Formats: sequence, C-alpha cells, structure tokens
Amino acid sequence: MRLTPAQRRLRDEGTQSQRKAMQILLALGGLSEAERLVPITSAHVSGASYKMIGDPGLEFLEDFARDARVAVPTTVNPLGTDLAQWKELGIPPDFAEKQARIARAYATMGVRPSFSCTPYLIGVRPGLGEHVAWAESNAVCFANSVLGARTNREGGPSALAAAIVGATPEYGLHTDEGRKPTTVVRVTTKPRGLDFSLIGLVAGERVGEGLPYFRGFRGTEEDLKWLGAALASTGSCGMFHLDGVTPEAHRAPTRGLPSMTITRRDLVAAKRSYTDGDEADVIALGSPQLSEQEVRKIAQRVERTPPRIPVWVFTSRTVKDANLEAVGIIERHGGRVLADTCLEVTLLEHRFGTVATPSGKGAYYLPSLCKQKVILDDIDRLLERYA
Amino acid sequence: MKIRGRRIAPGRAAGDALASPVPFSFVGGADPVTGKILDPSTGIAGERLAGSIFAFPHGKGSTVGSYMIYGLAKREVGPAGIVNASAEGIVAVGAILAGIPMVDRIDTAGLRTGDRILLDGDRGTVELPGVRATPVVTAVLRNRGRILIVRRSEKVGSFRGRWSAISGHLEGREDPKTRAIQEVREETGLRGLSFLAAGAPILARNDATMYLVHPFLFDVSSRHIRLDWENVEHRWVRSEELDRFQTVPRLKDVVAAVLR
Repeated sequence: MRLTPAQRRLRDEGTQSQRKAMQILLALGGLSEAERLVPITSAHVSGASYKMIGDPGLEFLEDFARDARVAVPTTVNPLGTDLAQWKELGIPPDFAEKQARIARAYATMGVRPSFSCTPYLIGVRPGLGEHVAWAESNAVCFANSVLGARTNREGGPSALAAAIVGATPEYGLHTDEGRKPTTVVRVTTKPRGLDFSLIGLVAGERVGEGLPYFRGFRGTEEDLKWLGAALASTGSCGMFHLDGVTPEAHRAPTRGLPSMTITRRDLVAAKRSYTDGDEADVIALGSPQLSEQEVRKIAQRVERTPPRIPVWVFTSRTVKDANLEAVGIIERHGGRVLADTCLEVTLLEHRFGTVATPSGKGAYYLPSLCKQKVILDDIDRLLERYA
Repeated sequence: MKIRGRRIAPGRAAGDALASPVPFSFVGGADPVTGKILDPSTGIAGERLAGSIFAFPHGKGSTVGSYMIYGLAKREVGPAGIVNASAEGIVAVGAILAGIPMVDRIDTAGLRTGDRILLDGDRGTVELPGVRATPVVTAVLRNRGRILIVRRSEKVGSFRGRWSAISGHLEGREDPKTRAIQEVREETGLRGLSFLAAGAPILARNDATMYLVHPFLFDVSSRHIRLDWENVEHRWVRSEELDRFQTVPRLKDVVAAVLR
C-alpha cells in the first residue's frame, strides 16, 4: 500500500497504539487489496455495551486508552444500560460498574460520549462523497445510502484504528466501483410504517452481500432509516439505492442486472415469520434509537391511547434532554425513556420475556442476543392491541 | 521445509502445531481464562492454545473475537503464533492487538497437530524443520468441461496405480509453469495449451515427505492424447466424479484450487 510520509511516521515512530492502529489498517487494507489509506472526516465506533464485549473488550479498551487518542471527531455506539437509571432498572452493580469503566475508557481516548447508534440524528452528517469510517451497520447503511457519504462496514476495532490514524483503507464502498448496485428490487406495494422494516428484512435475506437498487416506492429519511437497519441485519449490505430518492441513484447503472420483486404477500409473510410471541410484556421502541420527531410522536400516541403494558423508548441522551416534556408524558403512562443504550444491546432479558416492537432489526436480533420472544407489528396496531 | 505465505501480524514464534480442519470462532471456541479449545468440531477440543502455533482455515463469528484473542494473550494462555489459509478481519485484528505473529496463504490442511513450526510474521513464512519438502507441479487439463486424469504406472517412484492429474517434480529454481507445460508435453503429447489459472500451493502429506503442489489449469483443444511410460490409462471426467477414483493425496483440493 502507498503511504504518505505522515502515515509512515505513525507506523514507525508513533505511540504504541498509533503503531497498532496502523498495523490494523495495513493488514485490513492488504486483505482487501486497497492501494492507499484515504483521509476521513469522522469515525463512529461500535463495541461499547458490556453485555456485548464483556471482560475481554473492557480489558482491551482500558489498556488501549493509556495512550490512544482519536485524531478525528469520533462518536460511539450505545452502552449496555442507561448509566443515569441503572439502579431503577435492576441492573447488577458489577455490570453497571464495568459499563461505566468502558464509557470512561472511550472518553479518555477523546471519543464523544454520544452512546448512540444514530450519529446522523445528533449532528454528525457527512456530505456527498465524504469519506468516513463508521461501525454500526444501520449507521453505515444510512451514511452511504441516504447521505451519500462513503464508509465500509467497519468493526469496532477497525473503526477505532481509523479514528486514531484519521484514515481508512480505500476499497469497497469507498470506491465508485464498490457503490454500483448488484440487484434491482422492485416493490409492488405502497409501503407505510412497519412496511419499511419488512422490505429491509426481505431484501437483506435475498440479496445477502449484494447492493440492492430499489424501485417502485418513496420514503422519508425516517422511513429509510428503518429500511436500512433491517437490510443491514439480515444481509451484509452496507448500502442501497432508491430510485428517485437517494442521492446516487440517478447515476447508478442498472442495465442488465438480475431483478426480483417484493410484493405485499412477501411483507405479510415476513411479519409473520419474525413473530414468535403470543402476549407482550413490553412495547419497546428503538434499534435504532428514535429521533426527536419519533419520540414526540410516541408521546402523543401514548397520551391518546394509554397502554396497559409499559412502553420503553430508546433514544440518545441528546434527544432525551431536549424533549423532557415528551419524556414526562411517556413516563406518566407507565413507560420509560432510556438514553445511552439501545434495544438489543441493553440488559432487558431479566425483566421481559416477550417484546413487541416495530423494529425489523430488533425483531431479527432479540431472539439470539436476548433470548426473547418477539411480536413484530406496527406501532399503531400495538398501541391499539395493548390499550 | 519453508513455505512462503503472506505476513499479517509481525514477530516470530516457534511451537508445536494445533491444527483444526474447520474455521474457528474465538467467541465460544476457546475458554477465555484457560485457553482450552472447546469447539468439538476442531478435533482438538481439550488441547490448550498456550505456546502453540494455531493453524485453521480462517476465522468466523462475532467481531468480539478480536478482543478474545487479546485477552488470551494478556493472560499468557493464547497461541504463540497463528497460521490461516485465508485471513479475515476478526482474527487478523485480534492477532495484531495481541501481538501474536500471524501468517496467511498457507494451506493449513497440510499441517498436522504436533508438527514443529517456526513462524516468521515479518517475512510471511512458515518453516517445518522436521519435514522434507518435495516441490511438484500439477497440470489440470480441461476440455469441454471435463478434466484429464491418468493412472500412474508401476514404474514410477510414488503412488503407483493411483489416479492423478499430469504432474512432475520441480527441480532447483526452475519456473513451475514452464515445468508444468513440459510435463504435459511429455506425458500426453499435447501442445498449444492455453493457460487459465495458477493456484496457491497445496500441501499434500505423505509421512515425513510434504509434497508442495503448484496447481495449474490449462484448456486444451483436443482429447486425443498419447501416454508415455509414466501412466497406463486415462479418463476425461467431471470434477465431481473424482471421489469415485483412488487418487493421489488431495487431488480434489488441487483441482478445486484452480477450477472456481
């Protein structure tokens, strides 16, 4: 790989963690035959929930934090609990203590304590053609598809290495070639609400590692967030195009590509296949964390149709703090608003056996990561059912 | 013998091999405190990683695996070195974080548990001091979807009576591809080969001898061949049919290395 003089200096004369970070980028670049490291404007790292990374992760991060400092603005994924209300949540003190140590290690490295899987909702919005290194599959999919920024699907350590060096190997979704669609996916039904998650689940299963070019519908930024999160769960997709909507769709070549169709019947079948619970103990909204508008909308709905089971809302600290009125309404109706954490990386399984959620990504991960049963349905239908 | 692969993580290590024939996940695959292998599909469950050269085709599973490797090394129960056939991000990053020398592009199926191994992560090489290397070339000839196999005569030095592709010993520093073309000419009389692919070397073990097989694929325009003294019979077969023949070791893998 061709390195700039500054990159060579980091590799040979940098601090211990800078040298390790360079080694990681060079090895990963070598595996994918990248020719150089491309400078990045931001990084987003995953691997912050103690539930997910455990003692090995904690140990590594604390050691690394001794001399590792990020070189570009860097945000980090949700933790395993809300550090402000872990006691009320019944989280074991040992878990909370270790979780706090992980948060401190990231802070020491200069990482912004965002604890969010939706950096794009809290002000980190790289522009068209901008190179970044993001982990967290839904954020990757959003950045590439909706914003037109360029990032591969990084893992926690590789995103952290890129943050420390300020660059990432140039291959895959960083290149024009890697952003070309592989399959045209025609959707023959007009989607609303939950349907966007369902389209993502079905397309991801069918496309696998490919890059889908969707046709036949429109959607808001919010809709595409849910679609992308589900798509990146069942498939290893880091990007999609949507005809007439996403910024690079108009110049994406589609001629001669294999095509497939998603019908209303496929969506109904997907909803059924991701539902294995009978009666929900909680309605959980997150995965990814909710936006400001979504939190407010939930507050209005809960006020209109008060639920008889708790409604738990996962969002970022930034959004929670800016919407205390909506938070108050949700809590008055027996619900909770959790910040710093998210649906499947949080410690939830000790309280609820069956979770109802409108998140396709949540429905995909909850059974394996949390050993929970799931009811996947539209938020309005869930609130009616549990009114 | 010394085999050249690709360097992944720097440093040098020496140890006895623990060889798994199947891909490995460090999450759940090994005990994080003792470094004992837990995954029964490896065939080496119960063995301890400490001090070993751990050889497996490639990593799989959760990215937390990188941190697991780091934790094993920190507790001094991790492997001394890692050898993969094709490295992926989880194990490569883990080895770098942990400071464990690592090399890939080595045919791990040719390594055996207990082999003494010297691994050089700076040069990307793996050395087996106790094993003698016999470099050979194997030419897979293809015509209209079928490949040529020949049955070795009673006059040849090894694997008499077994089915093989066209092959021969590599002498000194000669170019493997040139040697392969030469062997095809001698053993079949065929000329005008069109070269299609060369595969990464396959390690075929026969007791203390390790055949370092350089595989090549050529298209030929005719099925009309003239055998010399080395072979007594020939067939044009589909690659799926190889299982039905008694072949030289790892012929199927050699064919798969060039037929994708």
